[in-house]
Amino acid sequence: MAVSSTQIQFDSLFGLFTYLAIVVSIIVFSLLLYFIVRFRDKPSSRPPEDTPILGKIPPSRGHARSVVITVSLSTIILAALIVGSFGAIDNILTPPQQVCQGCAIEVTAHQFYWQFTYDNGTKPYHALDILRVPLGQNIRLTVTSADVFHDFGIIGYDIKTDAIPGRTNTIWFRPDTTGNFTIQCYELCGPGHATMKGTLMVMPYTVYMAWYNSTVVH
Amino acid sequence: MAEQLRVSARRWLYTTNHKDIGILYIITSLFLFAAAGILAITMRTQLSAPSNTLLNANVYNQFVTVHGLLMIFWVLSPLAFGFANFIIPLEIGCRDLAFPRLNSMSYWFFLFSGVMMILSFFFGAAPDLGWTLYSPQTAAQFSPSIGLNLGAGALILMVVSITMSSINFLVTMFKMRAPGLKLRYMSAFPWAILVTIFMMLYAFPSFLAAVVLLYVDRAFGTVYFSSIQGGSLLWDNVFWFFGHPEVYIVLFPAIGIIADIIPTFARRPLYGSKYVIGALVAAALISFVVWGHHMFVTGIGIASTKLYTVTTIAVSLPFDVIVISLIETLGFAKLRLKAPALFALGAVANFIVGGITGVFLASVALDYALRGTYFVVAHFHYIMVGASIIGLIAGLYYWFPKITGRMYDEKLAKVHFVLSMIGFQVLYFPMFLLLDMPRRVVTYTPQTDWGLLNLTATLGGFIFGGAQLLLFYNLYRSSRVGPLAGPNPWDAWTLEWALPSPPPPHDFDVIPTFLADGTIRFGASPGLPNGASHPSEIGYPNGSSTLKDNSQLHLEGLSPWPVVMAFAAFIFFLGLTIGKPANPQPVSYEPFWPLIADGVILGVISLFGYSREKFTVHEDSHVESWPFKQVPNMKLGIWTFLGAEVIFFGVLIGSYFFVRTNDAAWPPAGTLFDIRNGFAMTLVLLTSSLTAIMALASAKAGNRSGLIVSLAGTFVLGVAFLYIKAGEWFSLGGSGVFQNYSLPATSYFITTGTHGVHVFAGMCMTVYLLANAIKGKYVKGDHVAIEHFGLYWHFVDIVWVFLFPLFYLI
Amino acid sequence: MNTNYLYLIIFAVLIGETDVEVNLSSVIPIYNEFVSVLLAIAGTKAILIAMFYQHLKYEPKSLSIWVIIGLVIASLLMGLSFVQLHVGH
Repeated sequence: MAVSSTQIQFDSLFGLFTYLAIVVSIIVFSLLLYFIVRFRDKPSSRPPEDTPILGKIPPSRGHARSVVITVSLSTIILAALIVGSFGAIDNILTPPQQVCQGCAIEVTAHQFYWQFTYDNGTKPYHALDILRVPLGQNIRLTVTSADVFHDFGIIGYDIKTDAIPGRTNTIWFRPDTTGNFTIQCYELCGPGHATMKGTLMVMPYTVYMAWYNSTVVH
Repeated sequence: MAEQLRVSARRWLYTTNHKDIGILYIITSLFLFAAAGILAITMRTQLSAPSNTLLNANVYNQFVTVHGLLMIFWVLSPLAFGFANFIIPLEIGCRDLAFPRLNSMSYWFFLFSGVMMILSFFFGAAPDLGWTLYSPQTAAQFSPSIGLNLGAGALILMVVSITMSSINFLVTMFKMRAPGLKLRYMSAFPWAILVTIFMMLYAFPSFLAAVVLLYVDRAFGTVYFSSIQGGSLLWDNVFWFFGHPEVYIVLFPAIGIIADIIPTFARRPLYGSKYVIGALVAAALISFVVWGHHMFVTGIGIASTKLYTVTTIAVSLPFDVIVISLIETLGFAKLRLKAPALFALGAVANFIVGGITGVFLASVALDYALRGTYFVVAHFHYIMVGASIIGLIAGLYYWFPKITGRMYDEKLAKVHFVLSMIGFQVLYFPMFLLLDMPRRVVTYTPQTDWGLLNLTATLGGFIFGGAQLLLFYNLYRSSRVGPLAGPNPWDAWTLEWALPSPPPPHDFDVIPTFLADGTIRFGASPGLPNGASHPSEIGYPNGSSTLKDNSQLHLEGLSPWPVVMAFAAFIFFLGLTIGKPANPQPVSYEPFWPLIADGVILGVISLFGYSREKFTVHEDSHVESWPFKQVPNMKLGIWTFLGAEVIFFGVLIGSYFFVRTNDAAWPPAGTLFDIRNGFAMTLVLLTSSLTAIMALASAKAGNRSGLIVSLAGTFVLGVAFLYIKAGEWFSLGGSGVFQNYSLPATSYFITTGTHGVHVFAGMCMTVYLLANAIKGKYVKGDHVAIEHFGLYWHFVDIVWVFLFPLFYLI
Repeated sequence: MNTNYLYLIIFAVLIGETDVEVNLSSVIPIYNEFVSVLLAIAGTKAILIAMFYQHLKYEPKSLSIWVIIGLVIASLLMGLSFVQLHVGH
């Protein structure tokens, strides 16, 4: 079940990395185990001819071929990962220009709580620790900090960004399912770091707009 | 007599012998390993269940910070360098490091720095913001307790220790190899150490600058890390620029150990050894351009994130080559699975997992989800514990018979291996699955359903931690009653195995020679008269080249000044950092003057004693010393030091540039500083460089009066520089010119202040040289001290040559 | 030539360059160019001091490697940080 656009993208890329990681691990671990078992010291195994002995520099051993194959195979795999990552980061770092009314929210981290500011009407509305967003819309968050270096992350959404005093970082996502999600701080910011939590409340668009309009000060 | 000396305090406090110092490092780091491990096991217990209350947040944050600091700086590197100290001189065929007293000083600075770090717990609070010490939470306004000051002092002492070691090992490995031992014939461990010390030399000064800036910010109210223009990103860059090479610094020695152990126990040479060495060098070079992956989500811009993704993914390629080469070494081998080999192979297995998961984190896109989570914790513990610690334990078992002369209990070691590997996987693998759990949290709620994985990890922690008790017991007991091991129980080829176990104090009776056909000759050359020493012998401190009496040699090479000097530095920094906060806002700290004064006095006494002590180490011209054949050891050491200073000042100047280009409202030239002051100071310092070089010319020409006049002139000019500088400081400080310009003030005071300290140190050297010159020294061919002083002094001048336009003219 | 005379000549050049630096702002109006030229002049002074006073011109070339590596690495730090701050946002 899709949770958000960011989660979908992450699962897809993470899945690619995991798949390749498993394949590579199986190959390398099998090689390692095979070599250990096959070439372990048994009474029947012959002593190798090039055993290093005290009094002589060990003979040179090995082909450049091995390096070339290793590096080439690795480069192919890693290039795939780079290409996938570049596509994903282009997406992450290109927030939509236009979002719906009430879908551009400022996030300010404090020691030790979250402040969400909705720019509506003549006076911004500040919510503490609860971030309400409408389902199915692109949400754009500009994140900063009022004091120290925090990090804003949403569990389940696979997205976060640093909250740095004096700077703003922008992330965006599209929530794909209603419900409550935990917001946490992901950078050690003091004694209250572990309890610096919030809640992302995803609700149907109409419900959200009803709430949003109720906060507008005329 | 020899037995008496073996356990005497005097021997262990005053020793400069590389084997003794190696043992000191190994034992101290194992002790700190246990201490940091206890911190870890307590944290794991706290985290084993949700909403647990064993530790509160304050205590937990201190534990997690000190655990990281201790393990990285006071366990991983020192343990590796304990081995390096003991083994490297043996493996390259010399009798000690280039500068034995400096080596001793490295150890004592390291020890006292560790004491200071632990003391911080007892002075209110230990540092508690993670070993990474992010800004601005480390600023005094957010962290007023003195814990971070003490931590900063401890870190500064530790970096001084490391810099001294780097210089020592670099000179030794380049200048003191046995005849015929070309660099390319060295095995993996010496190569890994060589690459590591290069990284140390150039990475640690950046960390030193960062910690100094942090301390000055906290103690003197400068604003590099609390300002918006500097702040989080400035610290991030300066810290991680060091931080990334650092994690390779703590890994490479273990890789070197593994790459020597596996061939030994496989009974075949290392596969593709030159590619393994090349891979280590390549990884070390690339390590200096990947640090941005620790800053992926700070907002550095899409171009930078893509750049760092590519460089970070690229750095995995050399490691692929190393892993494949190690596996291929086993091909058609006769692999003896004794404890060192088991641990080495276990380390390789863990390294594969750790390395692959590093590639995950190298992707900036994935990092947007994984940053600051337990996935990261799992990744780096797989490398730092799984590869590095396990690899160092392999080294411990491997070299135990050489160091102690006794064999450890193999069965117990195998049990240790099985329990360690199982405990390790149970401890750390679950953390990969906790990829939503934030790092460094004291607790978590039941709603998160992280409880089961955390409980599993804690269980693994107890197994892994408990298994290490077997290690300590095994090593302790075996060192007392283990069966005697001969010189070469593993049938290995590197030179340490040609010596008795343990080696005699002077190591080699005769330095071995590497012949052109690849054989190594031990013992006297057949063409020389009986009993005569081989032409490549290096002399002893007392000048003789043979040794009659074990105890006689133990008395040679003892010096009290390293430990006294280290203690002086310790109490100086303690005095500087122990002072309680004096004002609440802005926070300022009262230094504790009695300790500072005592430290200075003791330091001056020990410097004096150190320089007056008759302690000679002969240099030999017959040894391998490419590419520094014509360069005497001391001069090479000074140039190495200046290389590190380039980074230190580079970071200071870079920080100034960083905040200045980030600040649109910087005052233009001429607003703050009087150009005439800068011009005068530049002229004064340039003239002092002229007098310094004239002093050297006079000394070489045997011109005593010319030498004295030039030295005196250098001194007077240096004092004039400091006088003008002090005048400028006082007038700027008092005038309110800096009122609205706290960042310009910060960069000015810090940069010119550090430079001024260097000038002051130069002045002290001039006084010392002048006193000696008046007594008639330096004019009879012994002018090297003047030359060495000049090298330092001209460097200080060069730094000012850049500071002048950067502060006064732009 | 007599090395003492060489030292004096180098000294004169260094003083002369300092004089030029101080008066340069009136000659080069564009700020970035001005900073670059200043740093270039400072660089030549540093090279003169290193080559002649620190004797690097007459030492084995390998001895220069330590400060050269330091300069390269310091430049990497400054250069890449600059890119971070000002490129690709």
